[in-house]
Amino acid sequence: MMRASDFGWIGCHNCGAVHSKGGQTCRTCGSALHHRLPNSMQKLWAWLLTGIFFLIPANLYPLLSNEIFGHEEGHTILEGILLFAQSGDYLVAGVIFLASFVIPFFKVAVIATLALSIQHGWQLSPRLRHVLYEFVEFIGRWSMIDVFVVALLTGLVHLGAILAFLPGAGAICFALSVICTMLSAQALDAKLIWDGVTNE
Amino acid sequence: MTSLPDVTPTSDDLERRAWARLFEADPDGVIACPSCDTLHVAETIAPGQVARCKRCHFTLIAPRRDTLNRTLALALTSAMLMVAMLSFPFLTLTRQGLSNEVSILGMIGGLAHGWYMLLAIVVAMFVVGVPMLRAAALIYVVWGLRQKRPPRAAREVFRLAEAMAPWAMTEVFLIGTGVALVKVAGLARVGFEEAFWIFCVMVLVLALKNASVCRWTIWTMIRERQE
Repeated sequence: MMRASDFGWIGCHNCGAVHSKGGQTCRTCGSALHHRLPNSMQKLWAWLLTGIFFLIPANLYPLLSNEIFGHEEGHTILEGILLFAQSGDYLVAGVIFLASFVIPFFKVAVIATLALSIQHGWQLSPRLRHVLYEFVEFIGRWSMIDVFVVALLTGLVHLGAILAFLPGAGAICFALSVICTMLSAQALDAKLIWDGVTNE
Repeated sequence: MTSLPDVTPTSDDLERRAWARLFEADPDGVIACPSCDTLHVAETIAPGQVARCKRCHFTLIAPRRDTLNRTLALALTSAMLMVAMLSFPFLTLTRQGLSNEVSILGMIGGLAHGWYMLLAIVVAMFVVGVPMLRAAALIYVVWGLRQKRPPRAAREVFRLAEAMAPWAMTEVFLIGTGVALVKVAGLARVGFEEAFWIFCVMVLVLALKNASVCRWTIWTMIRERQE
C-alpha cells in the first residue's frame, strides 16, 4: 500500500484530493494544504493539558445541588453515581459512570499515549493506535450527557420552595474539560499514526 | 570489483510507476485517505455500497440514491421540527399540587443569569444552534447543487457544515433527558409534552440526514460544477 507522502504528493486533509508537491490550497474543497497539519502536537498538548486542568475541579466540586424543602445538598460526579446505584437505578448509574467518569479519564490517557508514541517513535501497532484514535473521536461528545442533565434539572425543576436544582461549579468545569479534550483529539493529525511504519 | 546495480524492477517500483501514471493522467482519479494518506483509485460505486480505506477503514465513498433530494428533504424537515420543538412545552413536573411546564427555550432562558449563563450557552449552542446551522448550511449547498451553477460560497459552506458535525449533540441531549427523568422520578410526577416527542423524531431525522450525505459525492459535484 502506497501513501501520498511516499511520492511527495499532498493529500487534502479534508476531502482527500491529491496534489503534487508545493500545492497551497485544495482545488476541490479550498482547504489549505499541508503535508502534515502544522503544530499538530503543540495544539494537542495545549488542549489536553487545559482539559486535564479542568477535569480536576470537575471531579472535586459539586456537579449539582438539590434543594428539597429549603435543604440544600451538593453532589460531585461520583456521589451522583452512587446515589443512582443506591436507589437501584443500575442502568443509569452505569451509563453515567461510563460517560462522566471512565471515558473522560480514559480519553485523556489515550490521547496522551498517542501523542507520546508519535513524538517518541514508540513501536506500538499502528492498527491499535488507529482504533484508539477512532474511539476517542467517536466517544468525546457523549461525555456531555451529565452537563445536559444538570442543565435540564436546573432549568426544568422549579417547584417553588418544594424542590429545585442548582448547578454546581463542577458542571461548568466538566463541560469545559469535555470541550478541550474534543479539540485536543481533533488537533491530532491521524496521518502521523502511520508515518515511519515500515511493515504492519 | 563493484557489484552491478540491480536493474530488475521490484513490485514496489511497478506500483510506484502505476500510481504516478494514474496521477498524471487524472489527479482526481486518485484519492488519498484523509485519515491515513493511503492512495486509492477513485471509482464510481453503486448507491448503497460503501468504499472504505484499505488501511484504516475510513469511509471514503458512500453514495446514496438521490442524495441531493434526500438530503434537502431531511434537512428541511429537521429545521421545521426544530422550530416546532422550540415552540411547544417539553416536560411538565407536578408535585403536591404545584405544576411546572417548561419548553427548551424556557429552560435555556431560566439558566441565563449569573455564571449559569455558561451552561445556557453550552446547551443553546450544542443542542439548538449547531444542528440548525449545519442543516441551514447543507440546505444552501444542496439547493445550489440542484441548480446548474452552485453558489460561489458552496465550498466554504460545506466545509463549515462538515466541521460542525461533531458539535451537534441532539442525541446526547436525548440520553441526558432520560437520565434527568430518572433523577426526578421519585421527587415529582413527570408528564411528556409535545416538544419531547417532536425532539425524538428530530433526532431520528437528523441521523437519517447525516447518513444521506456522501462527502466525496458532494465534493466531486462542487468541483465539477465550478470548473
